Amino acid sequence: MTGLLKKIFLVDLFQGLFVTFRNQNPKYIYTEQYPAERPKVAERYRGAPRLNINPDNGETLCISCNLCALACPENLIVVTSERSEVTKRKELITFTYDTSRCMFCGLCEDACPVDALELTQDFEMASYTREGQIWDRQALEEGPKPTQYKC
Amino acid sequence: MPDSTFLDSTELVLNMGPQHPSTHGVLRVILKLDGEKVLGTDCIIGYLHRGVEKIAENRTYAQFNPYVDRMDYVAAVSNGLGYCLAVEKLLNVEAPPRAQAIRVILTELNRIASHLLWLGTHALDIGAITPVFYCLREREEALKIFEKYCGARLTTHAFRIGGLLYETYDGFEQEIRDFCKMFIPKVDEYEELLTNNRIWVGRLKDVGILSADECKEFGVTGPVLRAAGVKWDLRKAQPYSGYEKYDFDIPTRQNGDTYDRYMVRMEEMRQSVRIMEQAVEGIPEGPIMGKVGKVIKPAIGEAYVSIEAPKGELGYYIVSDGSTQPYRCRVRPPSFVNLQALDRMIRGGLIADVVAVIGTLDIVLGEVDR
Amino acid sequence: MADEQTPGAPDAAPPPKGEAAGPPVKPAADAAKAAPPKPAAAAPPKPPAIMAATPWDSDLARELKERFGEGISETSTYLGQNFIVARPDSVIPILEYLKLEADFDYMVDVTAVDWPKRAERFDVVYVLYSFSRNERVRVKTYIAEGFQPETAVGVHLTANWLEREVFDMFGIEFAGHPDLRRILMPEEWQGHPLRKDYGILQQDQRWVRENLEIESGQ
Repeated sequence: MTGLLKKIFLVDLFQGLFVTFRNQNPKYIYTEQYPAERPKVAERYRGAPRLNINPDNGETLCISCNLCALACPENLIVVTSERSEVTKRKELITFTYDTSRCMFCGLCEDACPVDALELTQDFEMASYTREGQIWDRQALEEGPKPTQYKC
Repeated sequence: MPDSTFLDSTELVLNMGPQHPSTHGVLRVILKLDGEKVLGTDCIIGYLHRGVEKIAENRTYAQFNPYVDRMDYVAAVSNGLGYCLAVEKLLNVEAPPRAQAIRVILTELNRIASHLLWLGTHALDIGAITPVFYCLREREEALKIFEKYCGARLTTHAFRIGGLLYETYDGFEQEIRDFCKMFIPKVDEYEELLTNNRIWVGRLKDVGILSADECKEFGVTGPVLRAAGVKWDLRKAQPYSGYEKYDFDIPTRQNGDTYDRYMVRMEEMRQSVRIMEQAVEGIPEGPIMGKVGKVIKPAIGEAYVSIEAPKGELGYYIVSDGSTQPYRCRVRPPSFVNLQALDRMIRGGLIADVVAVIGTLDIVLGEVDR
Repeated sequence: MADEQTPGAPDAAPPPKGEAAGPPVKPAADAAKAAPPKPAAAAPPKPPAIMAATPWDSDLARELKERFGEGISETSTYLGQNFIVARPDSVIPILEYLKLEADFDYMVDVTAVDWPKRAERFDVVYVLYSFSRNERVRVKTYIAEGFQPETAVGVHLTANWLEREVFDMFGIEFAGHPDLRRILMPEEWQGHPLRKDYGILQQDQRWVRENLEIESGQ
């Protein structure tokens, strides 16, 4: 009997509708207004790669050990270096990083013994060309420069 | 058109997919129909085949780790756990207790995230649009914890062979506690929306029945098996990663229809919260990385290790030839095996039920095709 | 494109290890020959060249040995996981026996391993589980290329798709299979990708050109 009454008065449907209306309260708004309001990603976020430079003298931290290239599952890092006549140490010449094939697993970052290569919190890496996805040393040191939209 | 063809009552062959929204990816189901009735089906899969097993043979053990996240991409942490456990088995090492506890917390959180995505999309398939917004809202909280812990939301690469790379961040425990506290009322809210809803019940009850014997015959595992009344969960049957320390129930139902599978998964989310609550209270102190060398080189041998992924039994069969690369890495995906039972479940049903049954199997095509 | 130039794209031929899981190939004789030149104490403990499996001692193993005799060549355990090595023609009776008498009612997986250097080129592996015993066992068999093992679909329905996948990836044809088609690769694809002689960048050029209308899928 109660079952029939519940059916007639659409109790089950109103029960669900009540939940919907409860969530209509503006304080439950969850949407981010993306280009205007930029999300704050976590500190450990693995985004655009960056080749760190020493802030004191502006030289690269990279010691061209090639460990990142060996660790990379996709083989997308190519490091070339030259042994300097003066210091007898390897010096970095080029560093290319193909972000189009990168899956941001962080293995290169783990492998780096001097914290030179780092996956940063930048996440806007779109490019109009495929070639633009392959970053050279300069791009890696400067980081991506996404367009800032004013809304 | 001659009348005879017009009035002909022959069967109609209908392609559903591979771009059909309710096949959850690129699954193509060829349906043989008599009016609305399904006479037979044939699944065409492989549209997302990337050759994960071949890639494994050409990568080192550590390098292959991020690839497993890309099979079942809504439950990447579970995939990673299975792979790490399999290689650890080959190496004959075990992750330290602290790593195990954190692994359990994250895996259970991932199970909740996976079930939430399932619930949202399944309800959307059936025609209930509201739950998907709420489900993804709560899933977002879980993904934020992943992002804070390991830096990625979906393809996490959270675990390493031998333990963990990342120590927990400040406030990790508190965030897990807050999530657990927030989440249980939300599950009740979903149930309020759906469980008694007459349309929901009407669409799901007695649809796609798979009995316990049929489940075993087809090798179907996970919530589908439990909904048919088999009280079997690898976390209880063959505990791994310290699951024996936690107290939780295996939810089961009797009918094995779509509605029961829904109920089982809802209850599973509550049990996952229970496990997380217990695990977070007693995370032991200590190291997070076991005794694993920099170069992972297991002795010659083979091992099959499986875990209870959100979809069912996820197994890794790894053959080592003593080198740094797996000689053969076979993944036993739960979705692939479960999908095989689709034909049995929808034969004789209506075409509208196909959508409900595919949704309730909770397949992820990335895992079916690998 | 870029992939082909990458240094050390790891698609080299597998190192020689054909005998790894096969029957032990006189390790004793080799050891004896190698031992005299160097002092015995200096030799570091080398990992064994074959799987260090130990005999599997249980009632079930004895039962199986008694019943199938010649059909089972090895019952071993490695890392606490039990496996049986059976002759190709006795695999199906063993699976049947395990299902009906020993309650191994859930076939977890069917897969294969390619050992191109070995006379019997493929391992076919069946992973079984018993709900009532809570126990796993693997049934392995070694087959030569071109040999058609009998299908297990008659015993476990799960084997249907799993065997199709093995056929697709390794080209092992299962005799009596009800529906032996490719499952993951396209129907007209030539070659079996998981064989060791199939390179990681290799593809069916003709198929790619005809169906995708591009030169290379790489």
